[in-house]
Amino acid sequence: MEKVVIKESPYNVKKAKIIDIKLLTEKEKLFQLVFEDSSWLHFEPGQFIMISLMGIGEIPISVCSSPLNKEYFEICVRAVGKVTNSLHRLNIGDIIGVRGPYGNGFPIKILEGYDLLIIAGGLGLAPLRSLILYAIDNRRDFGQIHILFGCKTPQELLFREEIEEWSKRVDIHFACTVDRADPDWKGNIGLITSLIPGVDIEPARTYAAVVGPPVMYRFVIKELLAKGLPVDQILLSFERHMKCGMGKCGRCQIQNLYCCKDGPVFTFKEIMDMAEAL
Amino acid sequence: MKSKPKVAFFDFACCEGCQLQVANMGELLLEVLEIVDIVEFREIMSEKWDGQFDIAFVEGSITDEHATERVKKIRERSKILVALGSCATIGGVNGMKNSFPLEEVRRYVYGEFHKFFPTVETKAVHQVVKVDYFIHGCPIYQPEFLTVLKCILQGIPYYVPEYPVCVECKLNENVCMYDRGLSCMGPVTKAGCNSWCINNGNICYGCRGLTVNPNTEGFKEVLRKHNIPEDFLIKKIEMYNKCKELDK
Amino acid sequence: MENVPFVLTKLPSKSIMFYCIFSHMKTEQYKIIEKYLIKEFVNRLFPISKVVAPVYKGFGNYVFEEIKSEENVTFKYIPTILPPKKYLLPKKETILEFKKNQELIIQPVVEYENLILFGVHTCDIAGFKCLNKVMSDTPKDVSFLLRKEHIVIIGIECNDYCDQYASCAFVGAHLPTTGYDLMFTELNDIFIVHVHSSKGTNIVEKTGLFKPATDAHIKELRELREKKAKIFYNEIPTERRYIPDLFDRSWNASVWKELEEKCLSCGNCTAVCPTCYCFDIAEEVDLTLKSGKRFRIWFSCQLDPFAKVAGGIDFRKERSARQRHRFYRKFRYHVDRFGMIFCTGCGRCSRTCMAGINLKEVLISLIKESEAKIWRKWL
Repeated sequence: MEKVVIKESPYNVKKAKIIDIKLLTEKEKLFQLVFEDSSWLHFEPGQFIMISLMGIGEIPISVCSSPLNKEYFEICVRAVGKVTNSLHRLNIGDIIGVRGPYGNGFPIKILEGYDLLIIAGGLGLAPLRSLILYAIDNRRDFGQIHILFGCKTPQELLFREEIEEWSKRVDIHFACTVDRADPDWKGNIGLITSLIPGVDIEPARTYAAVVGPPVMYRFVIKELLAKGLPVDQILLSFERHMKCGMGKCGRCQIQNLYCCKDGPVFTFKEIMDMAEAL
Repeated sequence: MKSKPKVAFFDFACCEGCQLQVANMGELLLEVLEIVDIVEFREIMSEKWDGQFDIAFVEGSITDEHATERVKKIRERSKILVALGSCATIGGVNGMKNSFPLEEVRRYVYGEFHKFFPTVETKAVHQVVKVDYFIHGCPIYQPEFLTVLKCILQGIPYYVPEYPVCVECKLNENVCMYDRGLSCMGPVTKAGCNSWCINNGNICYGCRGLTVNPNTEGFKEVLRKHNIPEDFLIKKIEMYNKCKELDK
Repeated sequence: MENVPFVLTKLPSKSIMFYCIFSHMKTEQYKIIEKYLIKEFVNRLFPISKVVAPVYKGFGNYVFEEIKSEENVTFKYIPTILPPKKYLLPKKETILEFKKNQELIIQPVVEYENLILFGVHTCDIAGFKCLNKVMSDTPKDVSFLLRKEHIVIIGIECNDYCDQYASCAFVGAHLPTTGYDLMFTELNDIFIVHVHSSKGTNIVEKTGLFKPATDAHIKELRELREKKAKIFYNEIPTERRYIPDLFDRSWNASVWKELEEKCLSCGNCTAVCPTCYCFDIAEEVDLTLKSGKRFRIWFSCQLDPFAKVAGGIDFRKERSARQRHRFYRKFRYHVDRFGMIFCTGCGRCSRTCMAGINLKEVLISLIKESEAKIWRKWL
């Protein structure tokens, strides 16, 4: 058996250095990364990259920084499995492998001129943060921006400082809720769906972007449809366990769609009649 | 230079065959010794260790109060505890004891002196103390032992495959035992052994325990098709899996 | 969306296929070899490269494996346990190697070898074409394509059915079309050989045992194909072009429920399928933990962990859903995506299934149920 090194292999990874780590919650950390060759990651909000820890494994993670940030890119990682727990043990200066970006993100150019209704459940805020930061950087390109964020407990609130900042802005409507509160919590209590009826939107002029745990979609979509949002203006990002990111391994297949190539962002219209999607 | 992790091997009710698999690794054992420090291993050395263990491998199932106390002490002294072999991971063949009344078993084994030998139901190690890693098999499969050891040293979990032996067997392109007119437990047994037995012409006895989500009804149908009586399957399953009942 | 030039939802009908096959029989593309020389032919392949051929394994099973002598080759065989796809997409293949010393060195690698695959049936060649379509889709799979370049495919045409499990005529894989370098067809005491590529010409020249074919040979070949058209019948009572529609109506068919009870989720059907290519990616480190490799390993949509995501949610938890996924992937999804049916009719999945899940029976059951529905609508 001959063996050749092929740099063009789609499985090649680029080395990236961790330049900063922020502890967001007990389980989530934010990693700031730069490529060792100081090139820049071109991506759209909502796209994902494959993160490699050599000898441990590779996982898909969406980029959560602004695509306009040319200094570094960020990923938000919850410690749940083999690779993510090992990632959490890394320090500033450590090297990891990155390939990508993969998939179709949020269609920014289409969204321009529309109002945005961004709905994030838990860790779903990570990919949406990229879209939010982009929209803030290009605030004049968008109409109204509503951000609804829900998580289980106040301890699980991600990006607290940024959330604080968003909620103070006059040009953004931000609302937040928790499923279970503690005595110090002064905000809303209840599921994320409880926030939707109160949002004042003009359906024809609004695009909704929804990311959260799989159970959340059905209920949120129901509320959005009740609001009169057209099915092709509801954008969803799906989580599947992609292994290759290139439409080959079959792991992320939803009927004839590959989450990694055709998604992870889909319009509700594309998948509404599709079993096994939601 | 960081000192090498301290590793010990212990045995309870078992044949010590899994430890023999480790002792018999040949040159690979020398490579293992480069990265770990074996401080206690009755089968290959007479030294004992009275300090803490980084990794303790425990072979055998827990079958009396004395063993229960001993394994608890080992647990207290170990950072990581590994159940080694089927007796330790799923109770193994020792579990067959649980099919009979304890009193009857005692009389049968120890005859008139049975009163001096108190006994308890057979338990797998995780049914007594917390187990961090499982290495299934009767005996263990050497490559899997090494994989688990490497996972421990890397500080990552080892996931036992959630699919049946057939998956690996088919990749090894063996002629199916059912084509040979033999019965085989492969379809309902956890993989991870690289279909070791079948590669060498033997059937699968199901030593690694039932797979996570076995279709036992479907399997019975397969056996019926091959004119194999149903209680054959029940007996085969109980041969290694009897202790599983205690998990519920 | 991916750049798919056109989407084919209706497959070409059979008569068009036949036209394509018969209209281009050019005598100069054909050679002949006397039957008694075939063993010598195999012997003369050994100096060229490693030779892989079907070999009997006992109990009615055959495998493709390396041969060192012509004695081991079988010329008549039922499809092997695993299809020859294992040479294009190895069961386990290294894709990346790394070393961590002072610096972390990462190298993507491709493993390949020069190989002659001798005695490949047309169904397995159809399987290669399916895999080729997927792996050539962007981003291209360099390992697959590089390996393919180094493999010579020598086919053998089946003049009769291998056994009752085959459904090759239904998918049109019982006749050689393309996708091989040489194709051997048995005609009385000779083999007529279609030379289909420069790799094939090279083999013909290097072995030096072939004679040019004459128009009489071509006539004989035509007659054989006409005879074959009578032997091979459409095994499934529908036409290939109606399959996508059939599946569009069959999502809730009762047969899936039956499969729920039968299927053992052993993954045999996908492992033996010449068009299944799903894989897992895993890592292996050496004992020093300083170096290691990343590899792809065959995986199956029939297995429990396949469609699970973080949090333990499984999008195809029921065995029925997984079996349905397998069938849709063969007969529906890939028609949209690649314009092809991903079944070669080799019958391996039915042959290997302990639970007796039979592809032909499932399709027939779908057709019956769907017809009943249509009739109800009309009446």
